[in-house]
Amino acid sequence: MGKIWIPGMMPIELLLILATTFFVFVGVGWLLKTQNRSIPKFGQAILIWLTAFVILKFVLYPPIPSALMKTYMGLITLVLFLLVSADEESWTDFKRPILKTLAGETPGYRGVRTITLVALPLLAGMGTYNNIVPKFEEPIELRTVHPAPPAAVKVHDLKGGDKTFTLQTAQNPFRVDEDGQYSRDVQQKHVNDNPFDPNASKYMQYVREGGAIFFQNCHFCHGDNLDGRGMFAFAFNPIPANFSDPGTIAQLQETFVFWRVSKGGPGLPREGFPWASAMPPWEQHLTTDEMWKAILFEYWHTGFYPRTWD
Amino acid sequence: MKGIVSVGRWGKILLAGGLVVTVLGVSVVFTTAQTGKAPEAPKAQMPGKASPEDLAAGKAIYFRKCVWCHGPEGAGDGPAADRLWPRPRNFTQGTFKIRHTASGELPLLDDLFLTVTNGLPGSAMPSWEGILSDKQRHQVVEFVRTELVKDRDFTDKENETFTPISFGKQVATSKESIERGREVYMNKGKCVECHGPDARGDGNATQKDEWGFPIRPADLHKCWNFRGNRRDPYNPTNIFREVSTGLNGTPMPSFAEALSSDQRWDVANFVISLCPKKNIDPLTTKPNNDFVIKATFVKGELPTSPDDAVWKDVSAAYVGLGSQIMHKPRNFVRLVDDVWVRSLYNDKQVMYLLEWDDRTKSLGTPEAVAQTADFKETPPAGEPIAMRQYPVFNDAVAIQFPSHWETLSAPEKPRFVFGDAKNSVDVWKWEADGSTKLYTGQGFDKLEVRAGDSVKTPFVGFKDGVWRVMFTRTLTTDDKEHDVQFTTGKYIPTSFFVWDGNNGDHGLKMSISTWYYTILLPPVPKKAYIYPVFAAIFVIGLQFWMVSKFKKGSKK
Repeated sequence: MGKIWIPGMMPIELLLILATTFFVFVGVGWLLKTQNRSIPKFGQAILIWLTAFVILKFVLYPPIPSALMKTYMGLITLVLFLLVSADEESWTDFKRPILKTLAGETPGYRGVRTITLVALPLLAGMGTYNNIVPKFEEPIELRTVHPAPPAAVKVHDLKGGDKTFTLQTAQNPFRVDEDGQYSRDVQQKHVNDNPFDPNASKYMQYVREGGAIFFQNCHFCHGDNLDGRGMFAFAFNPIPANFSDPGTIAQLQETFVFWRVSKGGPGLPREGFPWASAMPPWEQHLTTDEMWKAILFEYWHTGFYPRTWD
Repeated sequence: MKGIVSVGRWGKILLAGGLVVTVLGVSVVFTTAQTGKAPEAPKAQMPGKASPEDLAAGKAIYFRKCVWCHGPEGAGDGPAADRLWPRPRNFTQGTFKIRHTASGELPLLDDLFLTVTNGLPGSAMPSWEGILSDKQRHQVVEFVRTELVKDRDFTDKENETFTPISFGKQVATSKESIERGREVYMNKGKCVECHGPDARGDGNATQKDEWGFPIRPADLHKCWNFRGNRRDPYNPTNIFREVSTGLNGTPMPSFAEALSSDQRWDVANFVISLCPKKNIDPLTTKPNNDFVIKATFVKGELPTSPDDAVWKDVSAAYVGLGSQIMHKPRNFVRLVDDVWVRSLYNDKQVMYLLEWDDRTKSLGTPEAVAQTADFKETPPAGEPIAMRQYPVFNDAVAIQFPSHWETLSAPEKPRFVFGDAKNSVDVWKWEADGSTKLYTGQGFDKLEVRAGDSVKTPFVGFKDGVWRVMFTRTLTTDDKEHDVQFTTGKYIPTSFFVWDGNNGDHGLKMSISTWYYTILLPPVPKKAYIYPVFAAIFVIGLQFWMVSKFKKGSKK
């Protein structure tokens, strides 16, 4: 409980943890070596196995599915066996405590042997039971997040009539410079401007209007920081798109976003799970101009630039 | 000697293991919020003047991130404000709820920093940690307190004081402490007057905040919604702080004088004890939804009351509810944000028990029903939703299933609100007027009542801010075209809707869930008991074989 999870940080966090663990292992090995000692191979194997298990099971967040967990642990077991049996010497070293336990050389080893002899059948029984008893976890359903867009989209305009937008050629009518000409550089130019400045440029005025539209309609789900953490987000599945993640609007053409906004969940093809999306077709609530302005705002706010066709 | 050497080796292994555990521990702490930190009295001192650099940087952040709710003048009137309830903070007067300072005083800069860092759960204010750096959060706080708090001055030595609360000595939670806390809650503290006899926030539904907007006492069973929980909802320190300081601008007073610090700790422990223990999703600060509703098999008759002992063994699934903001009339404020679901079945019937918190029992009037036509449109953007007046409608709840889940190839389903033209849904709806009706849905505007009385509600009850409704139906029916049919061991898509009549909820103005699954748990197969025995016997055999073989081998 109470874990802080920073979106997009998981791989970095995991790498950090893995690197730390690796260096601790190497460091401890080196320290022991300076004193002419070493951890026996068997101990090393057990230690690495347990560490991997602890990291995968308890440290990694969000948790990974149990099937994946089994695959990873299986792989790690395999690699460990390959490692310890790499040469005759290490294999002998690995086997030694096992053989000593089996032989029961000292009272200590005999104790360990008794415990092992009792524990292993119990573990086998429990494992079998756990495997057979049916578990009822949520079925895994894989959804395509960015399905292929149509060539053109016919959008109802609340101001009246329908408009057809060809996604390859359409442009955001508000991504314009002071002369009202479409400009690819205008966002770059105003990236640090204040949208509430009374002398705001034309582009920044549209950003302000788009922001108002976003915050009156979209932030409930997509969040105050456009990160999909809005106040109703927790109730929905899939959770709303995170625009501040480099994998969403930063990867998409502005017209693709327009298609998704105007047609919403019901406009998704089957692989996009139209039945589960809480995204309304915004053509029912906003004019096409309002949708374009909201999109303009999303790019300005996140600092991402729409992908272009070339 | 030999023994000592072998101990030494194990000792080394232990040492190495300990090191690894330490490193892991550090990394876990690194990713874990402040849990169980011993409370310490904050250092309270008057802040100095903000530096011009911080003000400029803070202003830039404010006009990118904050202005949309809090407004260009900080008056809590940004473009989003009118569609929010609770409304964004109006900074002008310097009235802040979550503080370490005495009632009526300004907050510490650290308090504001923590609010920006952790957000205010249960409101639209998110956590800005990981989005704005520590420095940026400090800068924006400097800007707000200097430029936007206009009626008071954080550096005014003559008029402002910063008196930190004292945490005293924390009373650890225990049965006795919780019991003492309950006693204070019910009597000396008078908490019960506003927060209600069962602490569901149902004691006084007519209160207003300092700005004249309606405000509801907190439902103390939902600690994840406490504004001041600092994303650490089960930590009593936060409750102690709020009970001690009071919440400026709201009817919640400070109890620093009225109650001893031990008593406030007892109350804090009592409040935390009310909150169901759930895993909290760090993304949303809400409990994780339990997407599978497991119906347990019962031999013989199903219970007729939610107090029946059989329910004790069935864990309740947490179902988070959002607002229906997809289709007009868009519902921007839903007052029911979750429902707890339990399910049972026997060889004939399936049963659901739904429990949710609602501060008022609402029964619609014919006059209200006559006005429904006036509430068909989405509330306009420029009108404070917090002030909107609705007639009272029936409280209600509904369960929805695909009419033909068995013929849909996974993962396809009908649209999660009332189905779609291709795939219809079967909706069972109970309303507080006592009616239980069946509907078939093929879209938002295509929910039609149909004849039939196969669904029964053997128990409904409202007590101290909680509705409890039991639905039952036979597992299968003759009307296969409209009625959902239940089969053991299958994932049957299920979703839930709740209406709070006192919030004007009716028709499409409601709380909604996404698709969940009901599964009628099949009996544990017999092989689950037999195979493990065989596995164990096999391993025992293998062990004896190995040991005996090894002994033979070593004798040679």
